[in-house]
Amino acid sequence: MEQILKATQLSKYFYQKKALDKVDINIEKGKIYGVLGPNGGGKSTFLKIAAGLLKPSQGEITIDNKNPGVYTKSIVSYLPETNYLYKWMKVKDALNFFKDLYADFDTERARESLKFMELEEEEKVTSLSKGMMGRLKLTLALSRKAKLYLLDEPLNGIDPISREKIITSILDSYNEKTSILICSHLIYYIEKLLDYVFFLSEGRIILAGDAEDLRNKRGMSIDKLFQEVF
Amino acid sequence: MITLLKYEIYRRWKWLVLRYAALIIIGAILLNRASFPAYQYEFIGESIGKFALTSLVIFIIIIVEGINVLKEDLFEECGYLTFTIPKKGRTILASKLVLLLLQLSFWAIISIGFGSIFFSKLPYHEIVQIKTQINFYFFPTVLFLLTAFFNFVLMIHFSLTLTKTLLVNKKYSGLLSIGIFFFLVYLIEKVYYGPFLNQIKHISIEIGSRSNIDLLSGGYTAVFLNVILIAIFFTATSYLLENKINI
Repeated sequence: MEQILKATQLSKYFYQKKALDKVDINIEKGKIYGVLGPNGGGKSTFLKIAAGLLKPSQGEITIDNKNPGVYTKSIVSYLPETNYLYKWMKVKDALNFFKDLYADFDTERARESLKFMELEEEEKVTSLSKGMMGRLKLTLALSRKAKLYLLDEPLNGIDPISREKIITSILDSYNEKTSILICSHLIYYIEKLLDYVFFLSEGRIILAGDAEDLRNKRGMSIDKLFQEVF
Repeated sequence: MITLLKYEIYRRWKWLVLRYAALIIIGAILLNRASFPAYQYEFIGESIGKFALTSLVIFIIIIVEGINVLKEDLFEECGYLTFTIPKKGRTILASKLVLLLLQLSFWAIISIGFGSIFFSKLPYHEIVQIKTQINFYFFPTVLFLLTAFFNFVLMIHFSLTLTKTLLVNKKYSGLLSIGIFFFLVYLIEKVYYGPFLNQIKHISIEIGSRSNIDLLSGGYTAVFLNVILIAIFFTATSYLLENKINI
């Protein structure tokens, strides 16, 4: 199977603290991966490196055989945990921004997604609730026809109704040409999406494997396994 | 770059309109006051002073915003948006500098426009007197001011970007940025400009200016040195933005 992301011995230090410690992760095309772990385990750091926002201290990461840079940003759709949209924006401005700056942004898909997510184009982003903001960010990220989606805690702080909508949207966006990497500590909700999981703790991968194999071998769900491991 | 520039303008258009509208309205009010025939000479000096002060305030706001335009992206959450778009570092930086140039141009047009009208309302003998006092060469002075301005802003941009390359933590980033900036100022003055200082001084007197404001006019040597510095800081900042920063 063709690889879209390959991280080799990837480390990131913040002064003395090791956020990532010699991590090896390979992401193949057409699969959904979960990077699971407690808060502060290094999940977001890994995603930020892949998105080109952080530089690794050691090791190497390539996406579509290129180091993170202008090209990889054009094929990677990154959903950060933070509210990164400009405060002056209305929902329609955010859509236009993505349309203007990402060649792969599908406006029709975004409009359909907005309807599904029950968001109004005239609403200001500052007036959106946390759940609505989460739905908007996901709409923007998933409306790109990217090769790799990096979703950082897409369900964090989101109400149960919004969670279902978000999971449905992620499933709708999936196809054989794309790969999705989801970081989360809310395993219960995303477990059914995942083909492969990495358990990350204190910057190290402590367990990795095919989700179905792990369930069969350990005789428990990934959520239960997560609770047992952490 | 045009697309990015468009969004830089969108981002702050209300403030842009407000500041130029304020400058024009205050200028118009002062001009109206100074144009009243009975009080023309009584208020003209005061009006020029007040307008110059207003213009200076707007200029300072433009400089502060010229710095903040990059600082916000480097140190606030919107950086996640700016630095994940597939654009080169130089394109991102250039869009911010072009916005600054546009702002500066509007400010200069309005300020010089009102300044000229105020000037024309002075008594004739005062106009003649001022004209004899201020007799500097226009282009070297304007080029020197412009290049010095962008050199200053780019030095700050470079200091901020280098800080974001060295530090992820925001806590000490302000101190480090200021430290880097003053180190650069020292280095440039001592090492870069050092061998040319006499020449710049000579040229500024002979070519740049023959008046008591010759300090403002550096001559073409200073302009040339500034342009080289601008190129160095622009290239270095762009490189860091694209390859080294930690958001």
